[in-house]
Amino acid sequence: MEKIIILCAIFLMAVFLFKWKHRSEYTQRDGTYHHKHKFGHKHGEGSSIDFYAYASKIRHWNATFKVSLSVLTLILCIVFDNPYVSVVVIIAMAYLTVVKGELSAYGYLSILTIPIVFILLGTFTIAIDFSKQPIGQYNLYLGFCYVFTSEAKLKTVVFLILKVFAAISALQMMTLSTPSSEIIYVLRKAHVPKLIVELMSLIYRYIFILMDVYTKMKNSAESRLGYCDFKTSCYTFGSIASNMLVVSLKKANAYYDAMEARCYDGDLIFLEEDKKVETIQIVAAAAFIIFIILLWGFTR
Amino acid sequence: MEKLILKVEDLYYIYGNGKSALDGVSVDIYEGEKIAVLGSNGSGKSTFFLNVDGVLTPEHGKIIYRGTVINKKNLKELRKNIGIVFQDADNQIIASTVMAEVAFGPMNLKLPKEEVVKRVEEALTYMNISDFKDRPPHYLSGGEKKRVSIADIIAMKSEIIIFDEPTAALDPLNAIMLEEVLIKLGSEGKTMLISTHDVDFAYRWAERVIVFCEGKIIADGEPLEIFQNKEVLKQANLKQPTMLEIYEALVEKHLLEDTKAYPKSTQEFKKILEK
Repeated sequence: MEKIIILCAIFLMAVFLFKWKHRSEYTQRDGTYHHKHKFGHKHGEGSSIDFYAYASKIRHWNATFKVSLSVLTLILCIVFDNPYVSVVVIIAMAYLTVVKGELSAYGYLSILTIPIVFILLGTFTIAIDFSKQPIGQYNLYLGFCYVFTSEAKLKTVVFLILKVFAAISALQMMTLSTPSSEIIYVLRKAHVPKLIVELMSLIYRYIFILMDVYTKMKNSAESRLGYCDFKTSCYTFGSIASNMLVVSLKKANAYYDAMEARCYDGDLIFLEEDKKVETIQIVAAAAFIIFIILLWGFTR
Repeated sequence: MEKLILKVEDLYYIYGNGKSALDGVSVDIYEGEKIAVLGSNGSGKSTFFLNVDGVLTPEHGKIIYRGTVINKKNLKELRKNIGIVFQDADNQIIASTVMAEVAFGPMNLKLPKEEVVKRVEEALTYMNISDFKDRPPHYLSGGEKKRVSIADIIAMKSEIIIFDEPTAALDPLNAIMLEEVLIKLGSEGKTMLISTHDVDFAYRWAERVIVFCEGKIIADGEPLEIFQNKEVLKQANLKQPTMLEIYEALVEKHLLEDTKAYPKSTQEFKKILEK
């Protein structure tokens, strides 16, 4: 069983490497200069996920289809708790996002680094244990106690990592291909309470406005040496925070006026367009789900 | 005589902090008029607009739209027929895609969905922004946002369109685009009110100028007449339009014949020189 997992992992790496190389060759031939990102996540990653969603090539797919596929996959992953299923899901979702969605493998990996770090930190504590006596299959003496683990435990951890990772990549497929407004639209169709849906769409819009205001304030403070030492930085941060509160109250008023001027009367209704879902997509998705179920049936 | 479309009678408005913003404003607006509203910051222009649109409720005073006195019940009728393009597009754009944003007004009018889509498409084509109808507003530039906020109002098909300082924060190219849109809207017979600090623009574009000062209308009339009235200009802290000033200076020095043909733009001025 482990061999298969290792094989799958190698395959996954190979796909990524291929895409990566392909991309760099392409860039060189093109003669265009691409920003060399540092590996790992940058600050403000939240908005870059949002940006990827708009740039995705599978954005035009029906949002309900994408959301239900990803949620169904997520549920199957967790319910089946099977490493084969997990590996298949990881590969399939990476395929959808990177190959179909044409997100660079680089960007995909760099977004995944955040959850990977959390998964590794979380599972590490499950894998090891402490004891005064030298017990367990493998142990390491730390001077005052032993850290020990066993093959079975490591196996559980690897399977757990695979499961969590598969679940995350299923959700990541959704977030990287569906803009938030469309996800909110799906939730509205799924009869999530109106209050929550309206709040979600407003919050989504205002996050960007708040970030914008914050950046402007921060830049202007910085240009006046507002961050020259630690004490000043703290003071500046506090002032900006309190100022933001005042600004957001004022903005809320201005917004309400603007909404009223356009006949708002208590119900936030937005125009939403249905995108057609193609039969081939449904067939492919159904085949994928059936394949997962069969795989689980045979390897149980 | 054109038809009276909006009559404002003796409007008083006092802000929560006790500061009076409108101090007895009366004005008649006729169909198809192009009005520039001038006045320094804090002179009550924006408050006036919000009152006229029924967003703010005046202390006392009457707003009469096409012969009906506006009260709480028919307020919606007023809002439907008067659209405001706000100064800061970021304070107006609420939805998370351009399409949904432009559809916000028509959706609130409770129109059938086909009609909404039709109107949105029209408004987007009108403002030449059909290309980014699926884009979220936070990835648009300032000029593009302004266009979206104008499309918002066009989609509502209101009879009167109010622009609150539309040229502020626009680059020259976008300002030209805006003027073209204004001319196009004017040729379709829309009634427009524009508040601005750009006297050259007001002189060039408007058929009528209203000057606000400390919550009162201190002058109302033809652009030429207002801009030649030094008294009013001084009171409202306005300067004369460059074109007018140059023309008058040239006439004074006897370099030009005083034909009373006041040029409004550089092109018109050049024509006079060629004669």
